[in-house]
Amino acid sequence: MNPEDFSKKKALLIEDMAEARIMQKKMLTDFGFRSIDIAMKAETAIELLKSNNYDIILSDYNLGKGKDGQQLLEEVRYSHLIPNTATYLMVTAETSIEMVMGAIEYQPDGYITKPFSQATLQRRLTKLIDVKNKLKKVNIALDAQDYSTAILEANKVSSEAPYLESKCGRIIGDCLLTLEKNEEALSVFDRHLKERKMPWALFGKAKANYNLGRLDKAESSFRQLMLDNKFFVNSYDWLAKTLVKKGSLDEAQTVLVDAVMRSPKNILRQIELGKLSMSVEDSMTAEMSFRRAVYLAKHSCFNEADIYLEHLRSIVAIAESGEFTPRQRDNFNATLKKIHQQFFEDPDVKAHTYHSEIALYNANGDEKTAKQLLEMWTNEAENGVAREPDAEFKKKFSNLF
Amino acid sequence: MKKMDISTILASAIHESKNQVGTLLYQLQSVKEIAQSSTDKQKVQKLEEGLKQLNDEWVEYLYLYKLASDGYELHYDYCSLDEFLDDQVFALTQSANAKSLKLSYNTSPDLVAIFDERLLTAVVSTGVYNALRFAKNKIEISAQTHNDYLEIAIEDDGNGFDNHEPEEESMMFDANTGLGLYFTELSAKAHIKSDRSGYIEKGSSSTLGGARLSIFLPQ
Repeated sequence: MNPEDFSKKKALLIEDMAEARIMQKKMLTDFGFRSIDIAMKAETAIELLKSNNYDIILSDYNLGKGKDGQQLLEEVRYSHLIPNTATYLMVTAETSIEMVMGAIEYQPDGYITKPFSQATLQRRLTKLIDVKNKLKKVNIALDAQDYSTAILEANKVSSEAPYLESKCGRIIGDCLLTLEKNEEALSVFDRHLKERKMPWALFGKAKANYNLGRLDKAESSFRQLMLDNKFFVNSYDWLAKTLVKKGSLDEAQTVLVDAVMRSPKNILRQIELGKLSMSVEDSMTAEMSFRRAVYLAKHSCFNEADIYLEHLRSIVAIAESGEFTPRQRDNFNATLKKIHQQFFEDPDVKAHTYHSEIALYNANGDEKTAKQLLEMWTNEAENGVAREPDAEFKKKFSNLF
Repeated sequence: MKKMDISTILASAIHESKNQVGTLLYQLQSVKEIAQSSTDKQKVQKLEEGLKQLNDEWVEYLYLYKLASDGYELHYDYCSLDEFLDDQVFALTQSANAKSLKLSYNTSPDLVAIFDERLLTAVVSTGVYNALRFAKNKIEISAQTHNDYLEIAIEDDGNGFDNHEPEEESMMFDANTGLGLYFTELSAKAHIKSDRSGYIEKGSSSTLGGARLSIFLPQ
């Protein structure tokens, strides 16, 4: 193995424990890194990733109270905050590694278990970078969203390096899914399943079947994956999606509640559960999910006004069903305040916010305050800083006009 | 008081201890740098070696607990045996050197097989630590395939399985609990393809003259 030149590479080190952080930084410096940025928690890491490009990210799985390393990885990969050409190495303890391996959709490029020596880290990094170099053309194509080229290059790598066959097969299958070539994807996944029941291949097969509308087949594969490994929480998400498509909303909600219990810090899953709960008119569960989503949204890649507005709407739904408590008033005000701080410049957000506020006062029988708010809204609409109340609103709240 | 599951409690206690060993290993790194004389350096190295073995033993027990309680999920992946064995030798060479033993591996450069790399790392280190107690000069790890099974073998030039009489050792933390073989067997058995599962074989080494422990994994 050739010694890798690390001096021109840029590294980000994410570790909450001071002792380990100092040690790992020293290790990286000792084998040549000159540029090392440090984050003590996932939230800081996201800010750094937004404004910098790193070649190597070394992140601990356990990052204290906030997001863990896996959630961080999922978020930054999902939102393309790091390119596929960058190497993500997860530092884990024996107990947390299963959570990392259980993420079938977004896996780190490699992991290293604590404690490790400098020599072990250097060796692991060198090997990972070597694999990254072999897959360079594939990853460049993936970053450019040129999936046909990615497939072509992955096929080349696969025949040159047999130990990368599984990795390449997975990339090819996923590219075909993205290109909506579901039948072709299916045959790639089937070919790999013939060799061995690889979870990623079964997962891919199930997704292809889902896309092709073969919902019963998809459902049974997702269920199989859940049985095979309780850490495959992604299969819960897809099972819920499948059940929704089949019209079994209540069952889908139960599956998501289970998934959220297993991994409560995943914001996208909380949002899904919130939306699903609203559509089965379980506003209590919806409120809880959106409240958690609002909490998780800050310092995430998904900090959008919609999550906050959905939370307000779920509280309105509780009030409209007559189960409102003072506690919910606090929840409402807390989220309202966050909207005012972050999103109130947007005329559309403003309108949605007024809508919910008015609906809440109206549902609680405080017509006077509701009317005052409506007047404020109308004024703002006339000044062009808020969108006007629409016909549907006027019809629903005709008592206020 | 409600009766609790003692094995779970022990497992989490082991986990705590293992983490503390990890912290000690980190702290030892800074001691390593201030050690001046070669005797000091040797002492620190011995301490590091002992802690590392202790750590690896705790890891083995944790896997053992998970395997025995059906709580372990295997992660199969394709692996180049040349790379895998190179990794193992790299990680264990220091331990072998500490006992003036030579550790090497032997496999074909293009042998690729499917197994749980993480679990087999623990299996190989368990086997090698065991061989360290009996070998006179040499330990070799090898890999080859026979009839749809991958065989990973650990051989030494000691007295073989039937005449195991290790010398009293001054090495720290050098104890034989007998759990090693059981762990190795459970790990092999956990590897399943269709209706075939893995197994182990104890024998004698034709090349080195000592013991040969083989782990067979279905392919």
